[in-house]
Amino acid sequence: MDPLSWGGIIGAVLWQFLPVWIALFLTFAISIHFKSSLGLYGKLFDSMIGMIGFFLVMFWIYTGLFTALFDLISTHDPLAQIPEMKNKVPGWALPEARVDQGLYPHYLLGGDNLGRDVFSRMVKGSWVVIQIAPLAALFAYMVGITLGLPAGYYGGKFDTVLSFLANLILAFPVILLFYLLVTPEIVQTGIPAYMAAVLFIFPIVFVGILLNSKFVTRPEIRTPLLVVVLGISFWLYASLVSEQARGTIVDILPSWLDLFNIPGGVLVVFVSVVFVNSPTIFRIVRGLTLDVKSRDYVSAAQTRGESPWYIMLWEILPNVRGPLIVDFCLRIGYTTILLGTLGFFGLGLPPESPDWGSTINDGRRLLSVYLHPPLAPALALLSLVLGLNLLADGLREESLKD
Amino acid sequence: MAKKDVQPILEIDDLNISFFVRAGEIPAVMDFSMKVYPGETMGLVGESGCGKSTVALGIMRDMGNRGKIVGGSIKFKGRDMGDMSDEELRDIRGSKIAMIYQEPMASLNPSMKIGKQLMEVPMLHEDVTKEEAYNRAIEMVASVKLPDPARVMDAYPHQISGGQQQRIVIAMALLSNPDLLLLDEPTTALDVTVEAGIVELVKELGEKTGTSMVFISHNLGLILETCDKITVMYSGEAVETGTCHAVFDRMRHPYTQGLFNSIPLPGADKNSRPLLSIPGQLPLPHQRPLGCNFGPRCPHFDEQKCNAAPVKMNPVQGEEKHLSRCNRISEIDWNAEPERPVVADPVEPGDVVLKVDGLKKYYDVAANALFGGAETRTVKANESVSFTAREAETVAIVGESGCGKSTLAKVLLGLETKTEGEVVLENLEIGDVEVNDRETGTVASIQMVFQNPFDTLNPSQSVGSQIMRTLEMFKIGNSQEERRQRMLELLDLVKLPRAFAERMPRQLSGGQKQRIGVARAFAGQPKVVVADEPVSALDVSVQAAVTELLMEIQREAKTTMLFISHDLSIVRYIADRVVVMYLGHIVEQGTTDEIFSPPYHPYTEALLSAVPIADTSVEKKHIVLEGDIPSALNPPSGCPFQTRCPRKAQVTGDLCEREVPPMRNLGNGHMVKCHLSEDILEQMEPVIVLGSKNKAPSGKKTGAASVATATAMSVASSAAKKPAQKSATTAKKKTATKKDNAPPKMKKPSKPDDLKRISGVGPKLEGVLNGLGIYKFEQISKWKKAEREWVDGYLKFKGRIDRDNWVAQAKKLMKEG
Repeated sequence: MDPLSWGGIIGAVLWQFLPVWIALFLTFAISIHFKSSLGLYGKLFDSMIGMIGFFLVMFWIYTGLFTALFDLISTHDPLAQIPEMKNKVPGWALPEARVDQGLYPHYLLGGDNLGRDVFSRMVKGSWVVIQIAPLAALFAYMVGITLGLPAGYYGGKFDTVLSFLANLILAFPVILLFYLLVTPEIVQTGIPAYMAAVLFIFPIVFVGILLNSKFVTRPEIRTPLLVVVLGISFWLYASLVSEQARGTIVDILPSWLDLFNIPGGVLVVFVSVVFVNSPTIFRIVRGLTLDVKSRDYVSAAQTRGESPWYIMLWEILPNVRGPLIVDFCLRIGYTTILLGTLGFFGLGLPPESPDWGSTINDGRRLLSVYLHPPLAPALALLSLVLGLNLLADGLREESLKD
Repeated sequence: MAKKDVQPILEIDDLNISFFVRAGEIPAVMDFSMKVYPGETMGLVGESGCGKSTVALGIMRDMGNRGKIVGGSIKFKGRDMGDMSDEELRDIRGSKIAMIYQEPMASLNPSMKIGKQLMEVPMLHEDVTKEEAYNRAIEMVASVKLPDPARVMDAYPHQISGGQQQRIVIAMALLSNPDLLLLDEPTTALDVTVEAGIVELVKELGEKTGTSMVFISHNLGLILETCDKITVMYSGEAVETGTCHAVFDRMRHPYTQGLFNSIPLPGADKNSRPLLSIPGQLPLPHQRPLGCNFGPRCPHFDEQKCNAAPVKMNPVQGEEKHLSRCNRISEIDWNAEPERPVVADPVEPGDVVLKVDGLKKYYDVAANALFGGAETRTVKANESVSFTAREAETVAIVGESGCGKSTLAKVLLGLETKTEGEVVLENLEIGDVEVNDRETGTVASIQMVFQNPFDTLNPSQSVGSQIMRTLEMFKIGNSQEERRQRMLELLDLVKLPRAFAERMPRQLSGGQKQRIGVARAFAGQPKVVVADEPVSALDVSVQAAVTELLMEIQREAKTTMLFISHDLSIVRYIADRVVVMYLGHIVEQGTTDEIFSPPYHPYTEALLSAVPIADTSVEKKHIVLEGDIPSALNPPSGCPFQTRCPRKAQVTGDLCEREVPPMRNLGNGHMVKCHLSEDILEQMEPVIVLGSKNKAPSGKKTGAASVATATAMSVASSAAKKPAQKSATTAKKKTATKKDNAPPKMKKPSKPDDLKRISGVGPKLEGVLNGLGIYKFEQISKWKKAEREWVDGYLKFKGRIDRDNWVAQAKKLMKEG
């Protein structure tokens, strides 16, 4: 077989992304059609910048989903090595023997130094990123909100102590913190496991208080709801935490009840990302709360005897959502870069993981000779973060308009 | 004023301004014409969204990238501003035309010293040296009556009070000797007594420098006090224009009339003569009708005459320069008494519901939160506050910002706990029980209506769910279904359609939001409702509707209402009893009649004088307080009011500075906290006197809500009688002795003329003239040269009496009656 020309490569890549194009087309067509009734999301489609951002973000989300769930798009196994394809340029054809085994006949974006398909690794890497980054940002938000709201609402000593702690964490060099957290000696002491146990309890606390404060006036709904929701989330929590902490006191669940196991490296990455992001979010939420708590509707809630947590979660939080949504988008972007950075330093995720940071690091060594292996994931990372930033910009712009 | 030969400073001709937004073109100002002559003050009045600020921005040619002048012309001193280059416009702005905005803090640069900001003006526009600029600036600071100019020049804007900031803004605007001054709601953000000071300053400076002014305000009373001419705007158009007196006394547009019917003028009565709101709502810019914009809300609407074509400004017959955008000027009976709802009987107050006795609330302010500073200071927000409120009674709590009225409300509602004293709600001590520790019944029985309608509802929950939540909290109804039913009934109660339950707060207008606030407060059948300035942020025509609604519900439910306000007009209208607060103290309390008639506490007297009243027949004593309200952190010794009290000299010795005066009972529970002696209190004259015309039987019948129209009528009917009376009085006067050319005096007649109608005479000057024994136009019209010169010298006018030709003006006014 002959190698593909550049035109052929582009055509083939676009064709491989066909399911993504279809999904994007449907998303945009439906959203634009119903945009007038979709609130802020609908308004996004009035802004060119917002639409471009949304397009880039959704492109990678769909790519990740289709690869992970239906095994579409990627052409080869991201971990399979074909020695003949080492460092081959984009569009290079596979040996006849391999093609006869039913493999895709070309490495669309070339092969890396171990003979793996750069295109497939980039596509698979998107799944790692969109799995971890938004979830990590979400967890960081839970922690930041659960601490930031009372700090802003009550003020006083409580606020001063928490703000001081947040400053302390922020003042510590992030990369050094990561190095410490993933050092085997420290992992063995169980510190990251304990941290996970503490940090992951916040979402449960958050959801619990959220529902309880809302339905406290209607016990007939509240009690069953809380039992079910808290039961399930506690089970998930225990499953998440137990594996990491085998043999420590955090090992709560017997293994037959343990739902899933997260690879150790991923959990550590998760913990570190949440840990370093939450102080910033804490400060944002605290500042917004300080502003909104002086509004009359907060006083109105106080005068009818609402509990402080109801006021914080149902009167204040929904009304600061604008800046928080924008920051959330930006923060997913930071987290993506952070994951890249971690991967680049070889921290956290297993070495063969196709995530973009690790891939860029792998390609770095032969950068002057073979440019293409790190270039594809670098561009992918760039476009996703750019998309998130544009999306945040668009949201901010549209939320300010009336 | 006929000044045909004089060129107007500003001439606006058929101005049209549109904003171009996502939804398309939105016309903000249509077909607007106005002329401002030298030395004249033009008032622009209208409700929010009527386009009055857009006109000002149009004059400045500063409408952002969305706004555009789409038609008409603005001529400044005869030159069309549309033909000027950007550079010329920049040169004019700030030097020839200056603008003063509502928020003083927003117009000053917070990071620059005041002196430097002021010096920039002459340095930029006139290229003078630094020393020259400094001298001019400090002179100007002194002329806006700021104490210690050198210190002020060296301060940052945040170091001085709001009133002082606004004075600095005015100084800055006047530094370049502008020919035209635009004032966009310059006093709205200030307290009433501070406002009175600023208004006086603006008027004085206007008289001194001869600057023409355009004064934008929503407050008709303020316009009457400051302006010569008035233009009323509605929905982007001027609807009526003329001299203040012509428009106030003989209004010829239904909207103007509606506005006057909806403000509580002295004489309005909540039982026998309720306020009338204008029905309906301001049309959205793209939903304006073809013909008269006011048509859908107008009681005189005639499809054929009013909605056939756009209505033009029509002259009012027999009056020069009085125009009205109404096609039926000659057909409508302008003096007809509008239909009012059925007169209600006054409600008899029942047992005492709320008793506050010796309440004190102190706050400790620590210097450092984390390490706890060594020094804590105490803010005395409430100092021995005692009063009672009975069932179905309305007690007004009056005072300016910082007087402690909001703290009092917080203690009542349990958001704060008392420091000392007792607060008893129906035999239950609630002063030290926080709201979260109160029983549901107690919480529901004392509720609050908040001030800012745009803040009172949670923007992210539907209206219905917010009322439902309140019902849930008060444990009303056994199921969601019952509560939903009750919520819909509450919407009926506040006269909103039931469909509003599904709406989000942003889809509601200010008045509608405030109605929801009322529904929420009355959800748990409260015993006491604290209303914290519930209407002050609303438009005039909506205020009346919300006030009436509040009172109607209160009357039905026999609720006690604590009405917190700084606006004495509305207090006089709504309250049964009044409590006046100053700096945490109650300085006076009594029934509404007792408070509004002498003897007064000096602070009440000043407050009454400061409130602008939109009625030409009302005469007010002119009292302007010096300085600002002291900080509660550092209150003055002795009487809290002693630093600003105009009557302090009447108390012997330094008693005021040493001792807090005792609460004195002047009978019937009329309490005054003052050192003034009995006979001084007794000699006090009323601050507000309804005009003589009003005392005529016809005036009483037509009532004060429509005083202005009634006035017009009685003027016409009594015109024939007047000259006879006058000649009788003048006969006596001629015999009066002449001393060093001073004009002849007379005793205060029962019907003094309104000398303010003479152009150039304001309330202050009028007071001075009255002091000279001059009350009638006739007196002035007879002044000889020697007398004119004497008065001119006495007033240090440097020939202004001749320049303005008072004698000719007085003759003319005398003929008009």
